[in-house]
Amino acid sequence: MTEHKRPKWADWADHIRALDDPAKNFEKPEALDDLTVIDLSSRSMAGPYCTSLLAELGAETIRIEPPGGDLVRSYSPNGVMHRGTGMAYLQEGRNKYHVTLNLETEAGRDMLRSLVGQADILIETFPAGKMDNWGIGYEELAKLNPRLIYASITGYGQFGPESGRNQYDYDNVAQARSGVQYATGEVLPEGKTIAEVPYATSTKAGPWIAWAVSGTFGALGILAAVYHREMTGEGQAIDISTPEAYERLNDYMLHWYADQGVINERFGNLDTCLWLYGFYPTKDGGVFLGGLRLEMWKAFVDIIGKYDEWGAEQWTTLAPFMKKDWQLKYQAMINPETEQYTSQELTMKSIEYAKRGRLAPITPVVAEIVPPWNTMHDEVWRDRGVFTPVQDPVYGSIICAQAQWKSTETPPRTKWVCRPVGYDNGYVYLKYLGYGPAKLRELTEQGII
Amino acid sequence: MPDVFKDYVKKKFSRPGPLKGVRVLEVCTLLFGPSGPSFLAEMGAEVIKIELPPVGDVTRSLNPFGWFYKEQSPMFMHINPNKYYMALDLHIDLGQQIFKELAAKADIIEFNLRPGVTRRWNIGYEQIKEVNPGIIYIEKNGFGQWGLYAEQDRPSNDGASQALSGYAWMSSFPKRPPLKQAIWICDYYGGLMGEVAILAALHHRRKTGRGQFIEMSQTENIMRVMNWVWPYQQLTGKGVEAAGNRDQCICPADTFLCADDRLAALAAPAPEEFLGLCRAMGREELASDPRFQEHSVRLQDENTLEILKIIAAWARTKTADEIEALGKEFGFSATRLHNAKDMNEDPHRRQRGFVKEIDDPLYGYYVEHEFPVMMSKTPPKIKWTVRPVGFDNEFIMAKILGRNQAQIDELYLHGVLGKWKDMQGRRPPSDWDGQAGAIIRR
Repeated sequence: MTEHKRPKWADWADHIRALDDPAKNFEKPEALDDLTVIDLSSRSMAGPYCTSLLAELGAETIRIEPPGGDLVRSYSPNGVMHRGTGMAYLQEGRNKYHVTLNLETEAGRDMLRSLVGQADILIETFPAGKMDNWGIGYEELAKLNPRLIYASITGYGQFGPESGRNQYDYDNVAQARSGVQYATGEVLPEGKTIAEVPYATSTKAGPWIAWAVSGTFGALGILAAVYHREMTGEGQAIDISTPEAYERLNDYMLHWYADQGVINERFGNLDTCLWLYGFYPTKDGGVFLGGLRLEMWKAFVDIIGKYDEWGAEQWTTLAPFMKKDWQLKYQAMINPETEQYTSQELTMKSIEYAKRGRLAPITPVVAEIVPPWNTMHDEVWRDRGVFTPVQDPVYGSIICAQAQWKSTETPPRTKWVCRPVGYDNGYVYLKYLGYGPAKLRELTEQGII
Repeated sequence: MPDVFKDYVKKKFSRPGPLKGVRVLEVCTLLFGPSGPSFLAEMGAEVIKIELPPVGDVTRSLNPFGWFYKEQSPMFMHINPNKYYMALDLHIDLGQQIFKELAAKADIIEFNLRPGVTRRWNIGYEQIKEVNPGIIYIEKNGFGQWGLYAEQDRPSNDGASQALSGYAWMSSFPKRPPLKQAIWICDYYGGLMGEVAILAALHHRRKTGRGQFIEMSQTENIMRVMNWVWPYQQLTGKGVEAAGNRDQCICPADTFLCADDRLAALAAPAPEEFLGLCRAMGREELASDPRFQEHSVRLQDENTLEILKIIAAWARTKTADEIEALGKEFGFSATRLHNAKDMNEDPHRRQRGFVKEIDDPLYGYYVEHEFPVMMSKTPPKIKWTVRPVGFDNEFIMAKILGRNQAQIDELYLHGVLGKWKDMQGRRPPSDWDGQAGAIIRR
């Protein structure tokens, strides 16, 4: 790569960095350090993800698991464990205090009631009705603490014809129910069957995106409820269904069917709505190419040296390029061109074009499609604090995705990544319930903690 | 909580949204920028979308395969409900002055521009802070405000985020090229997370009176979602690869081809869920098989592939609906794959008010997804859709800044305020009567 010459606005970059560099996060206050959160999540990572977001902002978060721990601790590729914890929970136990409590016992439920009396927020992910059957549903708990904000994240919600299903919420099932998986994937080549090309089918996203989206909507709804509570003193119940939360990000497909009867079908690595917008092959892999304005598309055509041959000068609108037949036609024309370059070469061509191209400073978006391994080792993201390892007292130095946003005043931060099952029983039960070692021994013998 | 949400949909309009009284200024285009303020608008905040006259947000032109709804971009409609539409030229001094007057009376300001542009327009964070010290100010873009990629002036968008984060790499079938999502997930999810930052900042301001500046990259943000990927790579020294529809951390959890050539997804990791599935398959002995009994052992690749093969063969003998029904009966999670038809017709979505019709004065009846957080005391709700460029200028100028008609006309004369260009997506629909939807009519 040529040596980087800093832009004219470099003083702005330096100024902002001085104000919001995540390296200085621990010098700053925490937005939610006045709030106490109880996390009763079971089997679903949407709940722990939601409470992670609150705990990263300073909320004192008490994660309650059954004795022996929640199933989520076993979630891990190939069953890999690090000091007894799977890779997933090694990220989403972050900043939380971990206690055990047996909610199958009345004594355990009484302890929960005492905690709720002192809490601001409770999150649970049991199938609807389970908490009510235990006598610790929203109605009962709101009597003890009318300021309580009670959020449930489930597969089917707290009301509606399917809400009675006694089924837990899993990410892959939610992705299937959202309508997004249906429309994503490779197109079946003409004349082939699914048996011959089993990968040309509806395909879910690899990450737990449905859980992440419902957990984040959960955090957003909770913070909005906190705002309302500060104004009025009133707590409330919040109901989120994971497939709905993810489906909300599924933009126009609902409306298209209602108005035109069109079911949005898979369109491979092109985009039903957008041009230029897709993945294209290169000599050593592939790149994303994007340009949603006519000039950006022309600039791309210029970069690959087809400006005159394809008649780009005459184009006055992007409109015809969004049609299906044109998309396929131009895709076939672009593929052999991009294949002549490496991904890095094309990326640098785009950056150079912004400086010297005939349409400069306009240039298309070119981005290499990288494996997560490269992402994690990319110096730019590291410099921006995304992969700063957390020095955990129990688990050692662990790389944790963080600094998802930067801020001058109350940025999110990660203090520890996880805790073993019941690790904080001593601290939490002493602080909130006044229980010392003798009482805890008694509760352990009774199977309550 | 059976009684708490009784008649929730029917009584939705008897309570305010949670963010009543919060005012937001948005200077955003495309998706990453505008999606966030929409979530606030759906929760009851007053959101003023400020566009550059006369063409405004480029999304107004985007459409699936040439389909527009009453000449409007359906994409634009679904990204931007519940807002007030103002067209103000921020390139010129008077426009910047008006913006500052509005900013002095706002709580939140959102931008998605290249780094440094807000300062050049004299409405950067520190310039706004002078007129409103408590302002919460967010700038969203592809690579943040500093760092090598930002300084290279790289443009970015959702697809670039899917590529650069590794998200696409791990979302295809094994040994197949990386796959782009059918939705603009990094943009929408970035918009969502940005509002978490903002509402936390609002809480902090209530306690301390202090505002803040926030910057966000949708690429960095989507990495937060890929949680297990990072410690797995660090601790095993192996890169994460794609696994098709199989959940790499949970077993069994996959999508299967059924007897009716439709697809069903199921998950059954917990002991009683796995036992339920084995019973449904008539293979109860599998639940006590040492390869499958413990979840952490079942997750070992050779065992996972074996059990998934068994389930796949069984699934091919049942219809997708039968598998969903067996899930209900035997207590494991299962669903038929849903598509846009299901979204429209499913009684569950309809009865929850999650899918509903909007009665809009400009665009008539159309179907929309409700905000997916149901709140018992403060129900969020979508009320109206988008407006032509500059449609609500008069209302905003009169309501917030107290300008009279003569003063407003003067601003039009100088090109400070503007109205729509006579162009698809910018002007009102062709059947508009010149009055409908306008808050101040002249």
